[in-house]
Amino acid sequence: MRLQQDLAPGRHGGLKLRHPVLVAAGGAGYGSELLEAVGDDPPGAIITRSITRAARRGAPPPRMAQLPEGLLHAVGTPNPGLEAVLHRQGPRWSASQVPVIVSLCADNVDDIAALARTLEVDPDAAGMELSLECPDRGRGGQPIGLDVEASETATVAARAATDLPLIVKLCSAAPDVRPIARAVAAAGADVISVSGSTRAVGLDASRQRPALGSVYGWLSGPAVKPTGLRLVYEVAQVVRIPVIGAGGAHTLDDILDYLGAGASAVGLATAALAEPTRPGRLARELEAWGDDHAIGRIDELVGRALPRGKDRGSLRASSFRR
Amino acid sequence: MVTTTATAPRATKTSSGEEARLLDTRELTPGRYLQAWAAPGIARAVQPGQFVHALSPRAPGLLLPAVPVASFDRVAGTVRTLVASRSRPARSLLEVRPGESATFEGPLGRGFALDPRSRYLLVVSDPDGFARVSSIVDEAVAGGRQVTVLLGARSVVEVYPSSLLPDEAEYVVATADGSLGHHGDISELVTPYEAWADQCFAAGSEALLTRLATLAKGRDGRMGVARLGRRRGRRPDPGGPEVRRRAWLQVALRHEAGCALGVCAGCTIDGADGPVRACREGPAFAASELRWEPGS
Repeated sequence: MRLQQDLAPGRHGGLKLRHPVLVAAGGAGYGSELLEAVGDDPPGAIITRSITRAARRGAPPPRMAQLPEGLLHAVGTPNPGLEAVLHRQGPRWSASQVPVIVSLCADNVDDIAALARTLEVDPDAAGMELSLECPDRGRGGQPIGLDVEASETATVAARAATDLPLIVKLCSAAPDVRPIARAVAAAGADVISVSGSTRAVGLDASRQRPALGSVYGWLSGPAVKPTGLRLVYEVAQVVRIPVIGAGGAHTLDDILDYLGAGASAVGLATAALAEPTRPGRLARELEAWGDDHAIGRIDELVGRALPRGKDRGSLRASSFRR
Repeated sequence: MVTTTATAPRATKTSSGEEARLLDTRELTPGRYLQAWAAPGIARAVQPGQFVHALSPRAPGLLLPAVPVASFDRVAGTVRTLVASRSRPARSLLEVRPGESATFEGPLGRGFALDPRSRYLLVVSDPDGFARVSSIVDEAVAGGRQVTVLLGARSVVEVYPSSLLPDEAEYVVATADGSLGHHGDISELVTPYEAWADQCFAAGSEALLTRLATLAKGRDGRMGVARLGRRRGRRPDPGGPEVRRRAWLQVALRHEAGCALGVCAGCTIDGADGPVRACREGPAFAASELRWEPGS
């Protein structure tokens, strides 16, 4: 089975992946340590930890707690700022064959444009991911991605500032991601990414205090895979651009599920932290599975589970929420 | 961000691990277990203060627990770990039965740096931190140095038996309830040793380490460390081993689980010159490499 694909064929140079199993934001840091660890078993691409315009300290410790249900984490956005990251990490990205997509986080439109312009002139980044999970300063700190108009404005600002392949990451907490996905695609996104990670709270072993220093965190791991699948399933029915799904994927079955729900590529984060070579290994397993089942190209697996009629699955999901 | 120089030893996680066979588990104090493992590769390479990532076949987790190597025997090819049952990540190791194996990745991180000129060492810990410092005691005693170990616990039931330490080491205990040894905090016993000790190694609660760091800073002024030649010559590279070797106080920080690649940011803390990662730039640091919040 042919695994190669171009997620952004309309852009100069495109966003060409050797295979569809990526390391999603949060699982790769800034990429260089991961690239060092994977050796000859690289992921299809790397999406970096979210980076801001100015340096940030991140969340107070403890930042991670392993629960029976999954991994609870709240690291904030600790980073030295985009220019510092590009200066230190960029040359290592260029030296690698793996596309490195830079995830950006901004709390207003001006910052989004400034970040995208900085990235535009950097020769080392293969693409940009704009995270709509980031708080919108103008809306009382609510994530940008909760609002259709704010999501559209943010995407327009990024698109206007760069010709790099643009991935827009939707906010998993949005009550309905479909209008936001439509708006983002119309505003110029090349790819949409979604993650099943969900807001959560855990307690430490004494049960006398929260497990995380910032109290609230994100739950990742196998428990959130159905949430990730739901987001992919809904978004893939309303846009005509590729979707990257993430959340709880760590086996070949998970990859096949995400592809079937409509994802063109699948991101691993928590599973890649535990085993950096897992994305590469899963890609080999996927290729062998495809050969065994006489699948010629990866596209043939994408969206097999989507309803064939007009938007039926999404309408059912909408009814359920009411 | 503190960067590590090319010359600094840094153990990096790889995709391969060693199958460590459990030889024995015994409960040392309530809820704390000493486990002996046959792991020749780890035993050969480990340095005091380093840790391993341990994957238990009985309870595979999402992130691997970071388990400090409490002691090691390079000749016998064994290592010992000290695990608290209330530590969620590490307690899966307690389900491994003698004869069964767990996968150990490592040794990881940067350990302590013992100055070859140091003759008198002070080691300070609480029961949680003991596993991080006990191997430096073994190494120092084996090298002919004089070592005093100060252990502070809440009560006598938390105090480890002296058989864990080499006979040559002096062992001094303080308990908060006065049930054994000095009645009070262990940091109160450090002052009499500050002039005697060439170096001090510590691990334990943030409050204990903060008190020690404050004391060490004052000691540098009182003892005129600069004039004793510790800062003679060129200024050591930030993050390099020289900084730790020249420091009077080195601390090993606790981090329970993570990627050990330096990418998850779960163990990132405030360093003196920016964020540092306990799994990569640490877990052993010179006290001066970290930012200490007074009163914590």
